[in-house]
Amino acid sequence: MGGIFHAAILFLVAAGLQVIFGVQKIFNLACGSFYALGAYVGISAVQAFIGAGGPPGLFLLPLALAGLLVGLVGVVVERGLLRFVYDRDETFQLLLTFALVLMLEDAIRMTWGTAPQSTAGLYLVYGQVRLLGATVPTYNLVVIGASLAIAAGIGWFLTRTAFGRIVRATAENREMAEALGVNMASVYARVFTLGTALGTLGGALVIPATAAMSEMGIELIVEAFAVVVIGGLGSMRGAFVGALVVGVLRAVAISVYPELEMLLIYLIVIGVLVLRPRGIFGEVAV
Amino acid sequence: MSTSRRDFLKGAGAAVAAGTGLGVPALGRAQGRPGVPAEPLKIGVLAIRAGIAAPVGTAGLRGTEWWAERVNRAGGILGRPVQLVVEEESNPKDTVERYRKLILQDKVEVVLGGISTGVTLALGPVAEDMGTPWLSWDGTTQKGVEETMPSTKWAFRSVDNEVEAIVAAMLTAKYFKGIKTVAGIGNDYSYGHDCWESYQAVLRRHMPDVKFVLGLFPKLGATDFTSHIASIQQSRADLLMCSFWSGDATIIMKQAAAVGLFKTMKGVFTTAGGVHDSLKKDFTPEGLLLGYNSMYFDDPKGSPLLKQFVREYKAKYNEYPPYECDHAYFCAESYKAGLEKAYAAAGQWPSKTQVVKALEGLEVESLSGKRSWREDHIQMCNFYQGITTHKNAYDFVTIDPLEIVSTKQAMKPSGTRLFDWISSWKT
Repeated sequence: MGGIFHAAILFLVAAGLQVIFGVQKIFNLACGSFYALGAYVGISAVQAFIGAGGPPGLFLLPLALAGLLVGLVGVVVERGLLRFVYDRDETFQLLLTFALVLMLEDAIRMTWGTAPQSTAGLYLVYGQVRLLGATVPTYNLVVIGASLAIAAGIGWFLTRTAFGRIVRATAENREMAEALGVNMASVYARVFTLGTALGTLGGALVIPATAAMSEMGIELIVEAFAVVVIGGLGSMRGAFVGALVVGVLRAVAISVYPELEMLLIYLIVIGVLVLRPRGIFGEVAV
Repeated sequence: MSTSRRDFLKGAGAAVAAGTGLGVPALGRAQGRPGVPAEPLKIGVLAIRAGIAAPVGTAGLRGTEWWAERVNRAGGILGRPVQLVVEEESNPKDTVERYRKLILQDKVEVVLGGISTGVTLALGPVAEDMGTPWLSWDGTTQKGVEETMPSTKWAFRSVDNEVEAIVAAMLTAKYFKGIKTVAGIGNDYSYGHDCWESYQAVLRRHMPDVKFVLGLFPKLGATDFTSHIASIQQSRADLLMCSFWSGDATIIMKQAAAVGLFKTMKGVFTTAGGVHDSLKKDFTPEGLLLGYNSMYFDDPKGSPLLKQFVREYKAKYNEYPPYECDHAYFCAESYKAGLEKAYAAAGQWPSKTQVVKALEGLEVESLSGKRSWREDHIQMCNFYQGITTHKNAYDFVTIDPLEIVSTKQAMKPSGTRLFDWISSWKT
């Protein structure tokens, strides 16, 4: 179950990475930093909520709200920075998003300091349940449920709403969509904000179970890359399956042969690259 | 990009140095002692303020700044005000460059600091070349020292870091007599592996029948240990030994509490006391063995100096000080005492060589009582470990009973090899 909890969080970050790449063709190295930002803002929101006398049992409300709202930083980044490099070489886009990683890390350090931040005992507020012979924190199940609901919501949004169809059309053929009158600036701003919000929400939701550290995004982004390679670059289904593969494989490796924890994941990555370079659900050649 | 980042950090360092030096001009006149230069005494400081070791690096810097303010209020060293020149400790290559810069460009007379094992082992040979005393706060493990700093003239090394695990193993044998199986978890780098090896070696001497059933080494900086905890549960070990020392200690404690890990097994956290005020009672149970390294902020028999430091640290930073403050304070205070001793012998401002000789075997009052430099340039001090309790006025755990073990008992004597020394014990 620990592996599935990890997969649920990983899915949110990888989904953010996928939606941005799928539409804007930008490989957002800063997705891990947005995840860290969501974690810190989530902690501050929860601390303010509890400090103001809010009942601990309702901590999920300020947490999720903060995670979603801080996703709006995506608008600022997209309109303020990224739109200037859309027509440049991919190298510039990578450099810019890498610069964001460093700047956000320093911004976090300047705002929240260097000491790890924690939400004290909120992780245990919902208690534990027995599941398949193991004790599982109820909060883990809440996050897994939320992640599944978000996955279903994204599927519904992309296939059933008008804007979802525009997003898919843009991902398929930008020039054609533009010729049909789609406002590309608006689509890009909204898609980037959605991708950012998925990452920041992931950071906020993970924080009761862990502690926020300024470099926490770096750890996750490596796994998120493995997810997109396995699942297929640009594919939401790929993000879902890839996150599940990485999360569960990692847990199994730690239980069976701990030395293989990361090696096993990268063996799968290499295998996918050799046998199916597009990934399991990828539609774009990698 | 890396340049701008480094510039930012250097800027931050300069700001701290300037802040510390603000009081210097007012105090910057020597008291007219013969042979003492009038200008401020420049002291270089290397401190990690970024990344996973930032909490301990920041604490060390704060301890040094507190010392410098006290010294300057009292008129300086031999009437000479001190001025800190702070540089960032980061990777070995860059830190070595900054170390050289402190000596060659800033003209500091001593360098204090250094926490990361990788950095301190790289600095050791450089210190010998530069001919300026360097007093390390922390970060020297057995294997690395044997390879890069077997004997030194200018470098003064920290306590062997494995001592935390050695003391923990001694106390495991005392407090958890019934255990049969032990699982271990530590970070996947030299410190984590060395602690686990040392812990096993010492516990085998005291409890030969104990079996070590699992050793896990997640990478440094990891924030999810749920799968590791599941593996520890599956091992059905009687006891978990953990050498985490930063935010990861808090995380594993929280994730362990969420699945009731310590309801079925004992726990030993060799140095998680470094982040003691994040170990909240909500998720940190009573009955664990917890190590605080070289200073325990709540020592009921602590000196007035410790109590004053804890009070002022809490008032200024709204935190309770971790052990690294004591290592840093000791390095600075011993340098002051070494200077004064060498001056008394020479009758003039001493040379660096004279200061180094004066430091050997020197004992001073530190935040955790008397501490000294062994003749082979290694810090000597006491280690504080004990059983976690909720019976205190804080929202985090403290320890009671408190056990104090000296480095004379738990650190290998000069000239011996660690595991040969442990093997020679009569238990």
